[in-house]
Amino acid sequence: MTLELAGALAAVVGADHVRPIPGQPALAVTPGSPTELADVVRITADAGAAVVPVGAGFRAARVRGLGERRRVHLSSERLDQVVQLDETSMLCHAQAGLTGAALEKILAPRGLSLGDYPPGILGSSLGGLIGVRTPGKSSARHGFFEEAVAGLSAVLADGRTIHTRVAPRRSTGPDLARALCGSEGTIGYITAAVLRLHRRPEARLLAAYVLPSVDAAIAAAFLALREECAPAGLRIVDATEARLHFPDAGLADGQALLVACTAGPTDLAACDRDLIASAVAAEGGAAADLGLAERWWRRRLGTEPTPEPSPGFQASAGPGQLTAAYHAIRRAVPTARLHVSRFDLDGAVVFATLVDDRGDALAGDALTATVARAEAAATAAGAWLLGARPTALDPYLKALRAQLDPRGVMNPGALTES
Amino acid sequence: MADHFTTADVARQLDDCTFCPKMCRHACPVSTTTGRESLIPQAKMDRLNKLVHDQEPWRPDTTESLWACTGCRHCTVYCDHDNEPGLVLLSGRAEANKRGAGHPALAGYGERFRARDQRLAADARERFGAEAFASTGAIGFWPGCDSLDKGTADVAAAQAVFERLGLGPVPLVDAGLACAGYPLLAAGLPDEFRWHAGKVATALRRFQTIVIGCSACRHAITALYQGEGISVGTTVVSIAEFLATHADKLPAPATKKRVHYHDPCYLARSAGVIEEPRRVLGQVADVREFAWSGVDTECCGGGGLLPKTMPAVADAMARRRLAELAAQGGGIVATACGTCALMLRRNAPDGVEVSDLATAVANLTDTPFTPPAAPADEP
Amino acid sequence: MVADADRVRRELEGIVGPRRVSVRPGDLDTYARDMWPRLLLARRAGATPTMLPTAVVWPETVREVAAIVRMARNLGVPIIPYGGGSGVCGGVVPRFGGITIDTKRMAALRGIRASDQVVDVEAGLSGERFERELTRRGYTFGNFPSSIYCSTVGGWLATRAAGQLSTKYGKVEDRVAGLTLVTGTGEVVDTDGPRRAIGGPDWTQLVLGSEGTLGIITSARLRLSPAPQLKVLRGFEVDNVAAGVEALRRVLQRGLKPAVVRLYDELDTFVNSFGHHHHDAAAAELRHTHAPVPLPGEGALPPLPPPPRATDDDGPLERLLGMVRKARHGLRGDAFTAVLDRPRLINRVVGTVAEKIARKGCKLIIGLEGARLRTEVEAALTFAELERAGARDQGEEPGRAWLARRYAVSYKMSPVFRDGAFVDTMEVATSWATLLDLYHSVRAALGKHAMVMAHFSHAYPEGCSIYFTFAAHAPDRAASERLYDTIWKDGLEAATRVGATISHHHGVGMLRAPYMAGEHREAMAILTALKHSFDPDDVMNPGKLGLAARRWEAR
Repeated sequence: MTLELAGALAAVVGADHVRPIPGQPALAVTPGSPTELADVVRITADAGAAVVPVGAGFRAARVRGLGERRRVHLSSERLDQVVQLDETSMLCHAQAGLTGAALEKILAPRGLSLGDYPPGILGSSLGGLIGVRTPGKSSARHGFFEEAVAGLSAVLADGRTIHTRVAPRRSTGPDLARALCGSEGTIGYITAAVLRLHRRPEARLLAAYVLPSVDAAIAAAFLALREECAPAGLRIVDATEARLHFPDAGLADGQALLVACTAGPTDLAACDRDLIASAVAAEGGAAADLGLAERWWRRRLGTEPTPEPSPGFQASAGPGQLTAAYHAIRRAVPTARLHVSRFDLDGAVVFATLVDDRGDALAGDALTATVARAEAAATAAGAWLLGARPTALDPYLKALRAQLDPRGVMNPGALTES
Repeated sequence: MADHFTTADVARQLDDCTFCPKMCRHACPVSTTTGRESLIPQAKMDRLNKLVHDQEPWRPDTTESLWACTGCRHCTVYCDHDNEPGLVLLSGRAEANKRGAGHPALAGYGERFRARDQRLAADARERFGAEAFASTGAIGFWPGCDSLDKGTADVAAAQAVFERLGLGPVPLVDAGLACAGYPLLAAGLPDEFRWHAGKVATALRRFQTIVIGCSACRHAITALYQGEGISVGTTVVSIAEFLATHADKLPAPATKKRVHYHDPCYLARSAGVIEEPRRVLGQVADVREFAWSGVDTECCGGGGLLPKTMPAVADAMARRRLAELAAQGGGIVATACGTCALMLRRNAPDGVEVSDLATAVANLTDTPFTPPAAPADEP
Repeated sequence: MVADADRVRRELEGIVGPRRVSVRPGDLDTYARDMWPRLLLARRAGATPTMLPTAVVWPETVREVAAIVRMARNLGVPIIPYGGGSGVCGGVVPRFGGITIDTKRMAALRGIRASDQVVDVEAGLSGERFERELTRRGYTFGNFPSSIYCSTVGGWLATRAAGQLSTKYGKVEDRVAGLTLVTGTGEVVDTDGPRRAIGGPDWTQLVLGSEGTLGIITSARLRLSPAPQLKVLRGFEVDNVAAGVEALRRVLQRGLKPAVVRLYDELDTFVNSFGHHHHDAAAAELRHTHAPVPLPGEGALPPLPPPPRATDDDGPLERLLGMVRKARHGLRGDAFTAVLDRPRLINRVVGTVAEKIARKGCKLIIGLEGARLRTEVEAALTFAELERAGARDQGEEPGRAWLARRYAVSYKMSPVFRDGAFVDTMEVATSWATLLDLYHSVRAALGKHAMVMAHFSHAYPEGCSIYFTFAAHAPDRAASERLYDTIWKDGLEAATRVGATISHHHGVGMLRAPYMAGEHREAMAILTALKHSFDPDDVMNPGKLGLAARRWEAR
């Protein structure tokens, strides 16, 4: 019974850190160390219950298909220590409950940083950042967030703890840490990570441009990226969105605003900014007021509030499909505010704020219908939706999970065929 | 350069190949065409090394890979050991024959070679007429056996081009012989080669300059004969080199057609004749290059007697050579060797037109020539 | 050992026809090995391989491959994928017999998607041919291993290969958009798809490096870069290894990405500074365009050496000739092996000469390439950073000299083996903080038994790889194999002890299989689980990657 389970867990983590969750056969458990966490998993597994990972920013998982099965909502909140900071190698070994933002606060005084990732994603715990894959966790300068992972520690379904060796690169078989990245806790519960760090850049340069169309702006972005420009951030804002966020840009219908930040050693940052400038010029654009870029950057960092956000929708696409995806979404929802960001050589993400013609957020049935229309249009244009998964390899995922977790303990509701 | 013709050096070459991480293998056309690892130069040499050390018996099945080489020398371009697998493998073939383990398709080859040689010479006399031949003179033309066999139109074209260049009628060498003997060496019959070479040299000596249409003939006469103690004493040049000295006399057409030039291996990698054919062709055409050309030319499959020992592979090599052009939608290929012309023509995919150098020049300069009539007994 | 060989042949012929199957001893012999130096010890002793495939097959389509795998699964026969056979770890050795699938008849470069800069290429294509075709079309894949002449794209992917320019372009696993493979169940799967959007494990990263144990890769989508507009090469000199390592760390951590980074330790620098034939481009060109011409009377064909005879049978002339031959060539060989018989002494002596007498310091080769503007800026910043770290600019020439001979090291294997010694390389990697420890520990461990040289290359912001070259000698095959195994054991255990990885880019094969448990520890559970999920019947290259092969061991 849940009481018995609660008792066993309390013996490990202390009674203060075991709470029943009202309305569900579930307990919220918050271990204080990786060892405690491993014991919790083992006890949960032995009791036939399920482990549901929770952490800062990690939405309490859609717990589907568990029926009346008991579950433990296992939180990494108290695993919030920096285990080791290796400044010589620019590596940080930190526990998985630490949020990206909290880690940045610890690193900042030393002139270090996780890197130019979108600040919005850093509210997540490290475990959530690594365990849940969304296209937005990307930086043109540093790559996808998973690439910052140099090593992982995780607890498997039987309570064993594994550690992957930290080395810049290896040829010792498959990259086993990648089994854990993006797996939403189904392969193992991430308890710590060794992450690659970056130095605070010597220079940060901002720039803003107006281009005759979104197509031209997207073309300019990839032109610059192919010239090996590695911006810290790049966003293309269409006219509808600009009207709200950048009214002083005075964009006409169809035009686009491109704002960019380049960073690194001064000469290199300047070179990257020049690459963007020439790409923009090649696509018929012209420089715009620097203040626009500065405003974008401040809002991105959260030091200036953004006008009221509204329910959103995102779709990612490769360089060859991005323009089509943008236009498809625009056609499907003519009143939406759209911008494109998270650029890298693999593509970018189109973000849509779904509002009506008065600029009010959509809700209820109208919202549902609009989202469905936008999803259909984006998919038809070759884009990928958040949470979409190709299912061709699902049998192998199922087999892998069955091997490591025969009792189906680790987040059984996640990553299954719907 | 090491002296490649001593036992110590051959022993070194065999060992160097055996222990080498097969650096040359991407270049070998036989293994690349078939995908067979046992046909890469390293494996062929390793096999010979085992045979020479009595670690394997000399039998047709164990000596099979010794024959899987056209002597194209592409491997040597990527060899820092200064090895010559093509040459050493020929010695292996000779040894295999001596031990009764010769290639089954080459049984009685010496006799068959002689018969073919005489037949081709006789047929040529009939086709071109006795007046086209001479046994002495300032310049003699030696087209090579494959041209006399399947490329007599090319011979006529060459003679037309010679006339157009003001060189007058250039006679064919009257010797009752068609081939300089390289196939005998490729068959592992060095004694027969020496004997045949003597006859050819005697005939060639009577001219001041010999112009050769076949790249293997040129190589045999200028390089291999002297090893057997046979000197020709005459200036011997390929038709490409010969035409190159007169290239500026060629009329340039108003518009130059696009023509790809295929380097024969025995010109580009055995004789260093790379620039001359391009100079000739460049006068009359817009010369284009294959992706692998010049010192990196890819073999047509016609050398080393491969068309006799591994005919399907030889033809596949020719097809592979032309695949690049076929993928581009077709085109014209010119080459400066009778054997290359034969192999490429036989295996040309749709849309690819193969031409001998002289024939290409004749066509592109509107120089008329008459392919000779077939002899009476041919269909 | 395995199911009836004749049955296997017939089944294969039923799939691909008679001409693309072989059970000929000559073929089985060839495919029994790759370039693992330990296998050469047996070859040199005249031994025939004991682990042979049952048959070799050359499929031309992925459908044929799938049919072959399904057939093998039904029949209970292992499958061993074979690309260029250039691996140095014995990855293609058929431990339990089986069907060797040679991928080289699937060698098409299918197409390039210009919008994504992604190429679709079949696994059996030779690296050199692949790269040349890309250059023709204005691209590069950026992977230039010293085995590029003899390795295939599929082999690169199966082993997570790295090239000399990996500091800029990454290792191959950094540039794969998707793979097509036939899994151990005989199913064809694609791992393509926008990685970022997909929930669940990154299957591409789980298949890369699996060395044929999860399936056989038949084609891949690879990320290209535009062909570089500018290439810059430079040589520097630093006082010692520590100074060089520090200089590299500073460059990489500043966010700069040179393409080529090669720091040679004192011994390597010293040995390379002489006895190193300068690249005579004109002589090479002459060799490549002109066949050797025999002197009159030498014969048109070179003479084969006579079979070896016991020395008792040699007449006085033969013995004299033998001595002359030995004086010309063998004596040098004997001296070399005599030197190698005292490795500690030689390492110490030459090391002292290098450090204290010759004082050549350490050579550092740097190269950058890429888009013109950015490369110019990066080069200027890189050279300035190196000079600030105390490196002395030696100009372009050392860089150009390196480039002209970039693959030369591979040809050095033959003379060493001919002389009765053996040579091999060990590449390990770790973080900057541990790097010098790694260098000294592994060098000490190897130096007990062999002459050791090292260079640092493949650098990253967080660390670097070290490439050790070692040569040793033992009197006979058995002693050589024992010495070889001891060297590897001592070296890899030293690496593991300091926390480094046992292989940066060569892979595992048979060589490192015993050390996988030490490398991965509990994480081996994930590898084992992957194996079960992709290859439940253990058909795919069994007994590799340190995975148990219970089904086959019992036989």
